[in-house]
Amino acid sequence: MAPQALLSPLHQADGSATYSANGYSVIGAVNGPVEVSRRDELPEEAAIEVNVRPAAGVGGPRERHLESLIQSTLRHIILTRAHPRTLIQVTLQVTSLPEEESSVGDGSGFSFSSLPVLPPLLTTATLALLSASIPLSTTLSATLVAITAAGKIKCAPTAAELVRASAKVSSLHVFAFSVGRALLLAESEGDFEFGAWESACEVAEDACCKSVEGMEVDGEVENGQEFLRGVVEGKVGREMRWRTAA
Amino acid sequence: MATAAPSLSFPRDIFAALSPSPFLLAHLSPDSPSTNPSRPNGRAPFEFRKPTINTGSLSHCSGSAVVRLGDTAVVCGVRGELLLASNIPNPPVLPTNLNSDREDDAENDASELSSLSLLVPNIELANGASPAHLPGSPPSTLAQSLTSRIRALLYSTQLLRARDLRIIYTPPPSEASGDDEPSEKEVKAYWALYIDIMFISLDGNALDVAWAAVVAALRDTLLPSAWWDEDAQNILCSPSVSDARSLRLRGLPMAVTFAVFKPTELLSEGEQDEENEEEKAWVLSDPDAFEEGLCKEVVTVVVDGSGGKRRMRRIEKRGGGVVGREVMKGLVRRADERWREWSQIDGLKA
Repeated sequence: MAPQALLSPLHQADGSATYSANGYSVIGAVNGPVEVSRRDELPEEAAIEVNVRPAAGVGGPRERHLESLIQSTLRHIILTRAHPRTLIQVTLQVTSLPEEESSVGDGSGFSFSSLPVLPPLLTTATLALLSASIPLSTTLSATLVAITAAGKIKCAPTAAELVRASAKVSSLHVFAFSVGRALLLAESEGDFEFGAWESACEVAEDACCKSVEGMEVDGEVENGQEFLRGVVEGKVGREMRWRTAA
Repeated sequence: MATAAPSLSFPRDIFAALSPSPFLLAHLSPDSPSTNPSRPNGRAPFEFRKPTINTGSLSHCSGSAVVRLGDTAVVCGVRGELLLASNIPNPPVLPTNLNSDREDDAENDASELSSLSLLVPNIELANGASPAHLPGSPPSTLAQSLTSRIRALLYSTQLLRARDLRIIYTPPPSEASGDDEPSEKEVKAYWALYIDIMFISLDGNALDVAWAAVVAALRDTLLPSAWWDEDAQNILCSPSVSDARSLRLRGLPMAVTFAVFKPTELLSEGEQDEENEEEKAWVLSDPDAFEEGLCKEVVTVVVDGSGGKRRMRRIEKRGGGVVGREVMKGLVRRADERWREWSQIDGLKA
């Protein structure tokens, strides 16, 4: 199923977005710049707070770790110096997981991994920031890559593929790239050679930000940055209808 | 008013406290090209601190280790507790041949361990471990995040063998059935390992030290010999140390952390220069707390060079765009060298 996104579904938040891909759905809200508590205040830049809520239950150490990953990534892309002594609050709620992951203890090799949920969370956060019109230095797009024991590289595998091939998937990788093709985040786990990591990184780079030229075929799998652009274009187009119709 | 004009230069530590980033920058970019850049702590950019390990210092644990790296010191204790198979609602599917010594199915082991959560790491920051840590508060984000990373490492590196943690019972051959058929073995209980990690003092690079402490403590762990007693319908353990057996770990994965110092981020907007932004960045090995506060981009590489062959176990990189594929290659090479240093230390030596 192709990824789907909706900008500004929530009306009370400054910005919000929903995103679903590969069975993961996330809703995100951004409030900011808002007043910051004295303790978290930074004199020269905006503080960024990320809250991740899991699909079921309350967050634990795993969510704290995801929060710190997302926080340090967003801190890099948000122009924090534009809003000193304020707070930008990002709340991400996982609304649905693929069936394979929601059944706990199914014996799949990567059931303990927190990596598959990271790309949807990052994408939702980026979309919500765009929706809130927070000044950004770049947008990011992220993807999951799996390497099988046979050395095959699979970009954006579905949860079913991970579970079915669980005996064979030897490593999982998440990469996030900026528009300028800078590697912003890389998280890998499993057992792999550095050469395999490099080729996985290349595959992910292509999936996230392939050059647009010669890609104007309908139904072509679009890359991450194009997807973001399309979502924002669609929203702007709808909002500007009154103007263009005249 | 006969006093001399006040000096216009600061003492070193005041400079560091007032403007930490220019202080670090001044150290890393010396005035004359002949002097090598050095960090405020006296190390070269790619120099690591020398670790020391002391194992078996806690008497009430199955295994323990104290690891010290500069001013970061960590105690790790491993405690084994019994999990009765009768208390497991959905037992995992076991491999058919419980006994074979050669069988080394890492994948199935990992899923068996993780579905039962047999490894339970927990990290605590002691009161006064670092000035940033307030005593008496709930576990900080740092502690929780570290716990989560250590846990992910424990499972994804497949360090432990499920065989070592199973307690197997072989029923005596009953006389009614044929004597030839060996009786069915069953797993009566598991050892669950509680791995408690306590930071006595924290001066940067928490993950490397915590992970080294975990590995050293697990290598030091002796689990008492345990068996199922049919009459008591319970697990009995042998009090004798000579019966106890140690865990056999798979390989020796070691974490190596680097931080990227990029002063352009900290200068004001007008001073930023898009063109040579890339050049103005330093990669610092094994950052201390002062450097960690100034570096937004952090890279952690977990390598395992045991058996003469280098395998990557984990790569984490976040918070910036300086380290790409090319820089990462160099870092992995440095991680390799660092792995060799770790593997030569008492407590981790093969």
